[in-house]
Amino acid sequence: MTTRANAPSVSVLARRWLGENATFYLFAAPFAALTIVMGLWPIALSIQTSFTESYTALSPQPTYVGFANYIEVFGDPVFTKSAWLTLRYTVLAVVLNLVIALFYAMFLSSVLLSRGAWIFKLCCFLPVVTPDVAGYIVWKWMYSGDFGAVNAALTALGLPEFGGVSQVSTVTLAILIAEMWYHVGFYVVIFLANFAMLDRTLDEAAHLDKAGFWRKFTRVTLPQLRPAITINSIYALIQFLKTFTVVVVITKGGPGTATNFVSYYAYRQFDQAQYGTATAMATILFSVIMVLAFALYWYNQRRDWR
Amino acid sequence: MKLKALLAGTTLALGGSMAMAEELVIWHDLGDNGINWFAEAGEAFKKMHPDVTVKSVSFPTDQWYGKSIAALNTNTAPDLLYNNYERVIRVVDQTGKVMDLSDVFAGMADTGFLSEADLNVARYDGNMIILPVQRVQMGFGARKSWLEAVGEDFPETWEDVQRVSAKFIAEDPDGNGKDDTYGLALEAANPRDLIHMLDLYTFGAGLRHTLIDGAGEIVIDEPKHKQVLVEFLKTFTDYGYVSPDTVTHSFPEMYQVIEGGRAGMFRVGDWNVKKWDGADVLNGDFLVGEWPQHFDDVDNAVVIGGMRGVAVPDNAPNKDMAIEFAKFLLSVEAQQASLNNVGAAVRGDFALDGLSERRLVFAQPAHNLNAYDFPESVHAFYPELEADFHRELLEVLVDPQDDWGAYVDALAERMRAKRDSLK
Repeated sequence: MTTRANAPSVSVLARRWLGENATFYLFAAPFAALTIVMGLWPIALSIQTSFTESYTALSPQPTYVGFANYIEVFGDPVFTKSAWLTLRYTVLAVVLNLVIALFYAMFLSSVLLSRGAWIFKLCCFLPVVTPDVAGYIVWKWMYSGDFGAVNAALTALGLPEFGGVSQVSTVTLAILIAEMWYHVGFYVVIFLANFAMLDRTLDEAAHLDKAGFWRKFTRVTLPQLRPAITINSIYALIQFLKTFTVVVVITKGGPGTATNFVSYYAYRQFDQAQYGTATAMATILFSVIMVLAFALYWYNQRRDWR
Repeated sequence: MKLKALLAGTTLALGGSMAMAEELVIWHDLGDNGINWFAEAGEAFKKMHPDVTVKSVSFPTDQWYGKSIAALNTNTAPDLLYNNYERVIRVVDQTGKVMDLSDVFAGMADTGFLSEADLNVARYDGNMIILPVQRVQMGFGARKSWLEAVGEDFPETWEDVQRVSAKFIAEDPDGNGKDDTYGLALEAANPRDLIHMLDLYTFGAGLRHTLIDGAGEIVIDEPKHKQVLVEFLKTFTDYGYVSPDTVTHSFPEMYQVIEGGRAGMFRVGDWNVKKWDGADVLNGDFLVGEWPQHFDDVDNAVVIGGMRGVAVPDNAPNKDMAIEFAKFLLSVEAQQASLNNVGAAVRGDFALDGLSERRLVFAQPAHNLNAYDFPESVHAFYPELEADFHRELLEVLVDPQDDWGAYVDALAERMRAKRDSLK
């Protein structure tokens, strides 16, 4: 009885272990558990599968083959080409999306656009909340060489036809435009939030110092947009390195192998039950994304923006 | 006490009936037609096995592979798998858990309608991996009203196809006043799509191999093979008989082109005819025949793309009953239902009344038939070799060559080198 009476209560123990934030940790625990089960566990399983023989990957006792799948993937010229295509596309997409989003946000936050700004905001954000598959199906129809709206409009204007997704020379541009339509609204919203927090006195000071538009933009505005640029660039990098849906819906990796990006190639391998090599590709992509995202974050944090 | 006895009795009765009831689950990729067929066959099977219910689940073909392989490897298999022979081969290769049905087949009395050729495309690596249930036939189709509009008959030769294609493109055969029609509907988005079309050109022309023969020799630069392959590649490129978007078309897009009335000549599978006879689709406005003739001394044919059949996983939950249902699918009743719903069967000893002339082409074949060679069942390295071949063809479709003959010669050499590296 004496022992029971002197024993600390659960709440006291929890406070002792977790400190003063015990209540917070207790409330957060279910979500942490969910994150581990739903988020980290599949990643861990995927990495584990990448070290197994494909034929046995889903059996109760898979055969482990060490780095054989990784060696096979790095020796596969299709994967090498796919990796370069993915990187090239990512660079193009990140730069294009962020630049356009930045200037679009500048336009929307301009005092000259006091009326009607909500229409432009709505127009650019609507695609973000549209189901991506539905949006890309419409883009596919628009690009159709047979009855597409894009070529119909170009022809009506007396301009040459656009090769769209049927030609290697134009397919990258075609899916860049479709993806920009879908993603750019999100980046604009982040930039707009940052624009709302800008210190206008700095702008006025630069104006009094007779700084021109470009000088004000690069020395006053841009440094203050660092949080938005960091978030957007990291998000865009992750987004475009994983480009998948637009390829599945519109190009299926073609024409030829022109849009056979790593995510799609891994998916095709998975589809052919090559689980070992598919998950090895996915793990390589995951590692590249992690390294690049952290590098970008580190660079944006350290860089002197003034 | 009475209440307890009543409860005990009810529990026993329920438990007893639950123990007797069995649900056979079959996975296939035949869509609604297949679901209707299995439902009809299941009802007929129920007459002999009142406690057995048959439930079929249709997956898109790609998903069927992944799900089947995963399920067999994780001991969560369905009772039966239903698909094409070569697809079951891949499940066998990647699971090793498909039952050898040789003894089951040997014990069946009524199998005389199956030829040795039929049985050959049921065996793999010494085992009978499927009971063959439906021959897969694919003919060449052309829109009847379009042919009439341009003053042509059903194209018999490759020259006919070329001439008719040019007219379909230039002469507005659908009469809508727009320049929106093409000669042929093909598909080329995925490697398997492209090679499937090449198989049809090749076997339809009466040749016996697409890439490699039984002895392991690469055949694509042999004169006749080379001619067919070059014409196939030119169809997409130099000739422009297909929509430029075809390089991003898979099965669904190809069907949109056919059913949407944008191409006048196309593949017709035995399973397509019932749907296309329907008023809302092609309304029977098409003719079906052999694939075009390329050579005077080789007969063209309707292509037998293999055999669809039923396989029983080693780890099927209700294996004995699954075997019984597999055997039942070869009965007259189930075969009649198969023909009615899916458009294909292996038996012919039942009524064919009421079938359209297009369905009779497959149900009562009076034309040449030429079957796939299934090199994957002979050469273990074939899938990898074929994957390389696909990639080469996909690349060249968007990079047309000035000298296609020289390209095929060089491609053949690359395939030989690849074959040697894989052996």
